Amino acid sequence: MDTVSIKIPASPVYLQVVRLVAAGLATRLRFTIDEIEDLKIAVDEMSAYFTGATGREGSIDVRFTLHEGSIEIAGTGRLAPGEKLRTDLTELSRMILETVTDSASLEQTDGTPTFSLVKSKAQ
Amino acid sequence: MNERATLSKDEVRSLFEAYRAADPVDQLSFRARLVEQHIGLVEFLARRFRNRGEPLEDLVQVGTIGLLKAIERFDLEREVEFSPYATPTIVGELKRHFRDKGWAVRVPRRLQELHLELTKVVGHLGQDLGRSPTVAEIAHTMNTTEETVLEGLEIAQAYNFTSLDAPIDTDEGGTTSFADQLGEDDEHLENLEYRASLAPEMAKLPERERRILYLRFFKGLTQSEIADKLEISQMHVSRLLNRTLATLRHALEEE
Repeated sequence: MDTVSIKIPASPVYLQVVRLVAAGLATRLRFTIDEIEDLKIAVDEMSAYFTGATGREGSIDVRFTLHEGSIEIAGTGRLAPGEKLRTDLTELSRMILETVTDSASLEQTDGTPTFSLVKSKAQ
Repeated sequence: MNERATLSKDEVRSLFEAYRAADPVDQLSFRARLVEQHIGLVEFLARRFRNRGEPLEDLVQVGTIGLLKAIERFDLEREVEFSPYATPTIVGELKRHFRDKGWAVRVPRRLQELHLELTKVVGHLGQDLGRSPTVAEIAHTMNTTEETVLEGLEIAQAYNFTSLDAPIDTDEGGTTSFADQLGEDDEHLENLEYRASLAPEMAKLPERERRILYLRFFKGLTQSEIADKLEISQMHVSRLLNRTLATLRHALEEE
C-alpha cells in the first residue's frame, strides 16, 4: 500500500496540484478518463470546504493511499484558529460525491476538520 | 450562370439596392446572395483566428454573424465599398467571440494544441473501445507521455472560464422550463426531488449546464455518455461540469 502526501496552502489556487497528483496516481491504477474526471470533481468538492472560495489562513495535508484498483484520499485542515467552516456536507455535495466516489465523508475532531474519500475503478 | 462568380463593385451595389427595395419575403434570398458573395472574406478573416483552440467552421459561423450585421448597417448613400466596410465588423465579432468564449487565461499555444488533439483522441478512442479510455491508451495513441496527457486534461479547466458569469440563456425569450427539455423517461418525481435539493442556485444556471448536471448526478450518466447524448466532446462536458460546480460552490459560500 503506497502512500503519497502533500501539504498545500488552504487556497483554491493550489487545488490544481492536488488534482494533478490525484490524476497521476489514478493513472497508475489504470483509471479511465471518466473515472479520473470524477476523482478530480471529488477532490474539488471536498477541498472547497477547507479553502472556501477565496482561501483561508493555514494549510491542508492531503494523503493519497493506493490500494488494489482504488485510491483513498484523506485531507486534514490545518487552519488558523478563528477560521470558521462548515462541517456537514450540503445536499448537493452529498449527491455529487455519491455519484463520483465509492464513499466520502467530512468530519471534525477536536476542532480539526478532515475529509476522506475512496474511488475504485470499474471492473 | 455560376452563382459564386465574383460580382463587380457595381453589381454588389445593385444587389444591395435590390435587397433594400425587396419585400420581406424576397429579401431573404437577396441577403443569402450577399452572404454568399462575401463568405470568402469571412473565411479569410476567420483563418487569421485559427490555432486559438476553435474549429475553423465555428469561426466562419461567428464571422458570418458579423457579416450579417454589416449587411444590415451598410449605408448605400455613402460612397464606400462593402468589403472594407464589413471587415472591422467581422473581425470585431470574431474578437468578441474569443473574449466571451475563448481561453480565459493566456494558455501557451503548445497546450492549446495539446488540448485540441486530446479532445479528438479521447472522442475517437472512446468510440473504438466502447468505453472511456485510460491515460496510457491516450498517451500511446498520441505518441506522447502520460504526464503530457494529464497536463492537457488539467489545462482544459482554463478554457471557457470567463463565461462563468454569463447571463442565463434565454434565446427563445420564453419561459422554457427545465422539465420541458428533459427526456421522456425523466419522471415527474425525480424532477421534483431535483428541484427541491438544488433550488435556487440551479435556477440561475444556463439550460445546458443544468441538463449536464441533471444527467450526471441524477441520471448517473458518465461524462462520456453525456458527451454522446449532447453531441459535444467529453472534455467539453468536463469543462462545463466543473464550471457549473464551481459556480454552485460559490453560491453556497454567499448564503
